[in-house]
Amino acid sequence: MDRSDRPSERGGTPGNREIPSANSSLDPITGFLDRKAGRRAATVLVAEANARQTGLAVIWLDIDRFRQVNESFGHRGGDSVISRIAERIRSAVGLPCELSRMGSDEFVVLVPGLGRVDATRLARKLLLEIERPLELDEILIHPSASIGIALHRYGDDPLAVLELADRAMLEAKRQGGNRLVMSGDEPGAGRLGVQLAREELAIEGALHTALENGGLRLNFQPIIGLDGRVEAVEALMRCYANGQQIAPARFIPVAEKTGLIVRLGEWCLLQGAHCAARLREQGTPTKLAINVSRAQLTSPSFIQALHGALICADVPPELIEVELTESLIMDLSETVQANLRNARDVGVGLAIDDFGTGYSCLSNLKDLPATKLKLDRAFVSVLPDDRRAFAVIKAMTQLGRELGMTVVAEGVETIEQLNALAKAGVDACQGFHHARPMAEDMLLQWMKQRTGK
Amino acid sequence: MTETIIATDNGRPVVEDVLEQTLKDLNIPPRPIIIDRIKAEMGGDTPNLGYVGQLIGADVSLAAGLIKTANSPYFGLRTRARSVHEALLMLGLDVASRAVASISLRQAFPSNGQLDRFWGASAQIAALSGWLATMVTNRLLCPGDAYTYGLFRDCGIAVLLRRSPTYRQTLERANAETVLAFTAIEHRDLPTDHAMVGCLLAQTWWLPEEICLAIRHHHDQPAIDLFDSGLPAASRYLVAASQTAEHLVQYLTGGSRTEEWSKLGGSCLRLLKLDRADLAKLYRGAEEMLRAVD
Repeated sequence: MDRSDRPSERGGTPGNREIPSANSSLDPITGFLDRKAGRRAATVLVAEANARQTGLAVIWLDIDRFRQVNESFGHRGGDSVISRIAERIRSAVGLPCELSRMGSDEFVVLVPGLGRVDATRLARKLLLEIERPLELDEILIHPSASIGIALHRYGDDPLAVLELADRAMLEAKRQGGNRLVMSGDEPGAGRLGVQLAREELAIEGALHTALENGGLRLNFQPIIGLDGRVEAVEALMRCYANGQQIAPARFIPVAEKTGLIVRLGEWCLLQGAHCAARLREQGTPTKLAINVSRAQLTSPSFIQALHGALICADVPPELIEVELTESLIMDLSETVQANLRNARDVGVGLAIDDFGTGYSCLSNLKDLPATKLKLDRAFVSVLPDDRRAFAVIKAMTQLGRELGMTVVAEGVETIEQLNALAKAGVDACQGFHHARPMAEDMLLQWMKQRTGK
Repeated sequence: MTETIIATDNGRPVVEDVLEQTLKDLNIPPRPIIIDRIKAEMGGDTPNLGYVGQLIGADVSLAAGLIKTANSPYFGLRTRARSVHEALLMLGLDVASRAVASISLRQAFPSNGQLDRFWGASAQIAALSGWLATMVTNRLLCPGDAYTYGLFRDCGIAVLLRRSPTYRQTLERANAETVLAFTAIEHRDLPTDHAMVGCLLAQTWWLPEEICLAIRHHHDQPAIDLFDSGLPAASRYLVAASQTAEHLVQYLTGGSRTEEWSKLGGSCLRLLKLDRADLAKLYRGAEEMLRAVD
């Protein structure tokens, strides 16, 4: 809805207009503060936040497509929806706060002492609460809201923060509604560059559930040298929610956007290291390749997490290899370089994943202490017929070799592809032709059989 | 090429095999299978409490531990659990699964004098953390979480003590440090620290994010102090409650000596909205609580 559509402000829809009551500072439908009292409360809370030097979060919430509700169900129906949504807001917040109704379908939640992380969490919770279907005249309606968040900064004008939150809410609305926008954030700016659509919110919820309810698994796919030796095993993350698997292509982007990728990545790190330890225990020591995200590598604590996992699982660094995506080598910040160098110095292998399809920056490749180059499956899938792809593979293989790296081809599915890759000179192959990804106990068995143990 | 691996292994001297076996024994079980089973049951639409009870009941020490947890004074439950099933009903599956995790954690380490004292102190801190959570009214601080957190907070120390022969000395230095962060002292000797190790372990044991982050940052003063540090408020309160609980234990028993209170105490009291007079009252209440724990 655009600004001019706001009914109560513009006097559009009489039914939701605030009716003066005995206690005129309260909105009779919701029991929240009315607009005037809400603004007063904001002024008081800002003054308190300044005095105590604590934070204040302003969450501005607007119900999406509310005019349709009014049009379809009349104003009594609209009021009923408003009062029930207000109740959801009240019970979802659960913290000391001031709740006000700023317009017919607009609410403001003021929560003292709340920082960025908690304000965002609360706003997500509100989105999920409001999203629950609601019955009106025996018809199920699916409400949603647009939320803008602004955090009061010390010394700011009391009402400035309200305006910022309002503007952020309008941005959320502009982006299609049912999402939240943090004031000052550019869309998609990482962890809290919050702009989550419905499906993303659901996946995010599923990831949280998986992390706390055992919904994550690692599967393992062997990488086989052309000489038949098991070169390494790659750990692949699987995520289950409500008994259903969520495809990595769906959950990884959401995890990256919300910052959950760090937790998932660290989970993989320790879990993968444990598997490496078990492979070693049963007498089949094998290098374990674990995917590491950009968010992990750009954090100075990456090295502590890596060593923490090695120590915890009691596994020598030589048995661990971290896989980085090609896009990561595009911009090598100092922290990333230091992290990679440190990992390499202690003996952890570095593999560049999906090489060749992204924007490879060869000068960065030269500076990277990588030990392995994994050629993207896109080149392999067109083998053996595509002579040009073959030529590119051959050239990349040579490049990798010259830089002292092991060259691996991904996505190898047929014997013809394998033969072509052998001709091109790659060192090892990964794909269905050799083995599909398997659960850990199957891997342990598979390794035993293969090595005759 | 598989032959190469076999050849190396066969050619290895006996001493190394013995060493290998010892290392194997030392390996910390990553996560007991029972936790995954309970989680799997919890993930269903209608978790079967009877089945979960059977799973836990199959391990006597686990069953005893769970009943003991349900009867811990800080939960303030008036009825006493006499069976695993009753304990499950009283605690709820969430709290129960975390209690099972913490009991299994301790079982994962072999018993020895130093570690036993360490776990004893952890149990006291956990119980007082849970109790504190009931004393200070803060909706983001839940007694069950505070209790679990207290048990897991320092589990990284137990891991590092077993992995590194010199960690004991590191620990002594870190405990005596009055200015720098505890973890800063660990970083002088190690590429990691107990807070990170504990967080990784807690993550693989499926503990909630607030608890994992609180473990990771429990010596990180800026993270605790700054409301906008990126650490969720619930995590900051957990850190404050357990640090205060640790201080109470130190004050009352003289055990678990560290300098953390002199560094973090002010921040903790501020977070929990306690003043020195409140603290004096807490000393008295905590004394009774400690007597009730074992």
